Amino acid sequence: MIEFKGVNKWFGKLHVLNHIDLKVQKGEVLVVCGPSGSGKSTLIRCINKLEPIQKGEIIVNGMSVHDSATNLTKLRTEIGFVFQQFYLYPHMTALQNITLAPVNVKKIAKAEAEKIGREKLDRVGLAEKADAYPAQLSGGQQQRVAIARGLAMSPEIMLFDEPTSALDPEMIGEVLDVMVSLASEGITMCVVTHEMGFAKKVADRVLFMDEGKIIETGKPADFFDHPQTERAADFISKILSH
Amino acid sequence: MLANFNFMVIFEYLPLFLSGLKSTFLISLVTLVLALITGIIACSMRISGIKTLQYPAIAYIEIMRSTPLLIQIYFLYFGLPSLGIVVPEIQTGIIALMLNSGAYIAEILRAGIKSVDQGQIEAGLSSGLNYVQRMRFIILPQALGVTVPPLLGQAIVMVKDTALLSLISVAELTRSGQTMTSERFMPAEAFLTVAFFYMCIYFCLKYLADWSQRKLIFREVY
Repeated sequence: MIEFKGVNKWFGKLHVLNHIDLKVQKGEVLVVCGPSGSGKSTLIRCINKLEPIQKGEIIVNGMSVHDSATNLTKLRTEIGFVFQQFYLYPHMTALQNITLAPVNVKKIAKAEAEKIGREKLDRVGLAEKADAYPAQLSGGQQQRVAIARGLAMSPEIMLFDEPTSALDPEMIGEVLDVMVSLASEGITMCVVTHEMGFAKKVADRVLFMDEGKIIETGKPADFFDHPQTERAADFISKILSH
Repeated sequence: MLANFNFMVIFEYLPLFLSGLKSTFLISLVTLVLALITGIIACSMRISGIKTLQYPAIAYIEIMRSTPLLIQIYFLYFGLPSLGIVVPEIQTGIIALMLNSGAYIAEILRAGIKSVDQGQIEAGLSSGLNYVQRMRFIILPQALGVTVPPLLGQAIVMVKDTALLSLISVAELTRSGQTMTSERFMPAEAFLTVAFFYMCIYFCLKYLADWSQRKLIFREVY
């Protein structure tokens, strides 16, 4: 479903992705963790070409992401992206946020898109907030709307870039609950997160990055309880200690 | 002091002032529309990311913003005829004001567009919206909100700048004051009246600005 082949990326002199080889199977839930600046966000931002790469190739659903001949619109409609800061459109209601892309990109009729939108809002437990503006919603609610916005395009892949890092602690649970139920539906997910509970519960695989390299991958139980590398062990002890 | 003023003369000259006011109003209106179009074009070129469009736009904006308006007016007034282009004073004046205001408007629009969070643009990108769609649905509705007040501010500045056209003998409001001064030698009365009429235009525009802020602008609801 997603394949990285020798991907390299530099920000100026910083080698932010250092020869990444990775395969994510259809339906797999991959959790990416690592210290800040390790390249984990960049890794998933490359999957829908929010970032260019300098070397290598990424293949998603048979399409070469960074090939200029690839239909980027089609590729992006197959991938939902959830940002750390939600990035809802503040001048639109929750429902309008959700229906914007289905109506304009997928050319779905407005009434049909709204029906789908309301289903997705219901899906994230916010059916009654369809007409609320983002500023009227709590952080956790905004992030759930953002997830619904991604789901409304019926993507095969959902990417999450630290979806709970900007949230107050009491709101993390409601967002993770939605993500857990998504994972059980067989959607392919790549999640950058430090939420170990989430990783242990639903991840098929945990990938640990540092300094632009994949240091270690493994089943969540193995990774968290018996890390193979010193750096991973050090990282786990740090996130556990608070 | 006011007791020394002869306000009766003003009533005598009222038709002249009113015709000057009308000219100032019409020149401002035409210039504003043209300057908006100029500003939109210059701003679009400036943010296009295409160097052959970007550089001329930057040069234009910087030249207009770095030189006095009066010099620009004189340059067109004296310069164009020497190039063989003879344009009536009033058109020369409108072109000068249009080019000058257009540059400021281009920068106001650009600031509005830049004020929209890059993350929202990425959100649009990642859901497959193209450039025009991102502009139309995400950027412009929000940019409009923050640009309307400075645009009206620029309009107010521009209206007052039309006074400079009196120096190339355009028969506008300030020119009416000059005419009365030269005929009756009553500059205080003349320019006090002129100032009063500019204030009237100013307060109309200010009212419009306040109204637009209440009605047109998207505000986050808390």
